[in-house]
Amino acid sequence: MLLNARHFFSARELLLAWTGRNIRARYQQSALGWLWAIFQPAAQVAIFTIIFSFVVRVDTGDIPYPVFSYVAIVPWTLLASSLPDMSQSIVSNMGLVTKIYFPREILPIAALLARLMDFGVAAVLLVILMIVYRVPLFPAGLTFIPLILLIQLMLILGIGLALSAANVFFRDVQSLLALIVQLWFYASPIIYPVSMVPETLQPYYFLNPMAGILQSYRAILINGTLPDSSLWIAAGISLLIFAAGYWFFKKVEFKFADII
Amino acid sequence: MKTHVKFENVSKEYRLGLTRTSLPTVIGGWVKNQFSGKRSQSTKGDSFWALKDVSFELKEGQSLALIGENGAGKTTALKLLANITKPSEGTITTNGQLSALIELGAGFHPDLTGRENIFLNGTILGLSRAQITRRFDEIVSFSEIERFIDTPVKRYSSGMVVRLGFSVASCIEPEILLVDEVLAVGDAAFQQKCMSRIRSLLKNGTSIIFVSHNFYLVQAVCGRAIYLEKGRVKQRGQTKDIIDLYENDLHQKRALRLESGSQDKNEHADQIEILGVDIAQTNAADGHISNDQPLHLTIRYIAYEDLGPAHVSVFINRADGLTCCMMRTKIDQYPLHIWRGEGQVSLIIDPLQLVTGSYFAEAWFLNESDSMVVTPHGGRSDWFAVKGRGLSYADDSGIFEPNTRWHHATKQTLSAEEPFIRLASD
Repeated sequence: MLLNARHFFSARELLLAWTGRNIRARYQQSALGWLWAIFQPAAQVAIFTIIFSFVVRVDTGDIPYPVFSYVAIVPWTLLASSLPDMSQSIVSNMGLVTKIYFPREILPIAALLARLMDFGVAAVLLVILMIVYRVPLFPAGLTFIPLILLIQLMLILGIGLALSAANVFFRDVQSLLALIVQLWFYASPIIYPVSMVPETLQPYYFLNPMAGILQSYRAILINGTLPDSSLWIAAGISLLIFAAGYWFFKKVEFKFADII
Repeated sequence: MKTHVKFENVSKEYRLGLTRTSLPTVIGGWVKNQFSGKRSQSTKGDSFWALKDVSFELKEGQSLALIGENGAGKTTALKLLANITKPSEGTITTNGQLSALIELGAGFHPDLTGRENIFLNGTILGLSRAQITRRFDEIVSFSEIERFIDTPVKRYSSGMVVRLGFSVASCIEPEILLVDEVLAVGDAAFQQKCMSRIRSLLKNGTSIIFVSHNFYLVQAVCGRAIYLEKGRVKQRGQTKDIIDLYENDLHQKRALRLESGSQDKNEHADQIEILGVDIAQTNAADGHISNDQPLHLTIRYIAYEDLGPAHVSVFINRADGLTCCMMRTKIDQYPLHIWRGEGQVSLIIDPLQLVTGSYFAEAWFLNESDSMVVTPHGGRSDWFAVKGRGLSYADDSGIFEPNTRWHHATKQTLSAEEPFIRLASD
């Protein structure tokens, strides 16, 4: 493990280069370029706002619906956009994987980092939204943001690494993933508040680590409260998923080049 | 002396049956088997050994050639060394920075420019950005693609990709260099450059493993060779002896097929095989072909059955892929009959007239009506360098240097002298 970490450190140049390549390749010949990083979640929020504050009313207390949903959409988009990219990352670079050696985890991790940049861009709009709707800041809670993000990255890494490896052997992963992400979206507090989840379901509800993660973002950025125990449940589960995903990836990575 | 590479009793097994079968096929197959009452044919155990019990060792500054037919396990050995795949049995130890040229443009991304790819490829090979920046100019000038350095690699010709790939792989001065066949694509001048680069790397202690069907290059680079056959070491020794043995084996296989000849009719494509295309000039100076002298071209072939009337087409191609001329027995109305056995077709181009540059010739046998190629592979000559009156090949120097006679007339002399061409006006 220590040897791996050292090896990985020496490969950080490659990681950065590959991340840059992903970003450049994504926005090549696109008119909006990186503005898509804002445009996509903003459009989603606009749609949700129209549906859930005019058609079907979702009670979000005194918080304006756009802010309420955008706080969750941005971190959700990070997961929902990076997982497909990560699951594709090995398969779409088979030419490289079968011809040249480099630490294989570079590919899925770079796919995630490229999406992390979008996350940063989209977060700027969040700040603007919070100012426009005069949501009071909660400075003490802000220190938790990096921790929550770290837990979320662990979760994404664990799943993404496992999916990228599994996809080499079974392309079903791609199709299955689209389905799961869709289900997962409704199982997470994005378009509705946790308070709308029936009391009896609540203990199981937080077995979904994204529930705890999104809940914590909302607590700090909107409600001005510290994250509750749901964050620690999410942290534990995410760490387990990360360990399992990484272990699986390392176990099968040398079979990649043998599958043609 | 430091041991760079140690290959100990290495075997590599590939499974053939492991094509991922989808659930519908599995169920479909199961249903079919239930009805027909047959046992399903298990694909298990369908595996083959790409390498079996191969050992060798390389110390610093040593070079080794892997020789054998396609599928003998040469590329597998390189992939194992490059850590791309793991051996099924045995151990491999490599000691030092390794750089591999396994396939044309591997490690290049087609959408990125040459400059970006140098950095990307360099980092893949384990260099830091600062190290690449230091060698950047050397890499670019060695590859001779200065003008195209900011062009996406997908617009490069295959020759340019090879040049860039070799430049990056060799300019980082690796301790172990693996080269697989790729150099065959470059032109003669670049091959020469690569050879001298490889020799200087060897002198500085780099170990090189070389795979090529170009035995001229193999002999120029490698002291020792291993002859692989179906994944096993058939023979090892001095490169020259191994090449002789290999070529002897090839010859015997051909002779064997010639004897059994017409029995296997179903191998229809292999009626005739081109053994080689040779280029010669009676008084060629220092290896250069003069363009004002005749060029002799010989196509050696072996026919496994009687073909009867047939035709031959010969192309001469320039280094950048341009076909400069095409010579055909059909057009020249040369009657050609091919009977079973070996033979050769000769052609004289007099004078050659091509401008200074690197060329190769390609030959094909065609059927009686000159409409269908009957040789499975075209024959290809080695690269040859033509020397004309022009200094060197340039984009604007044209293709050929015709025989010329100049004449100059001013208006005054024109009226006095006989006009060049008299128009039929009177």
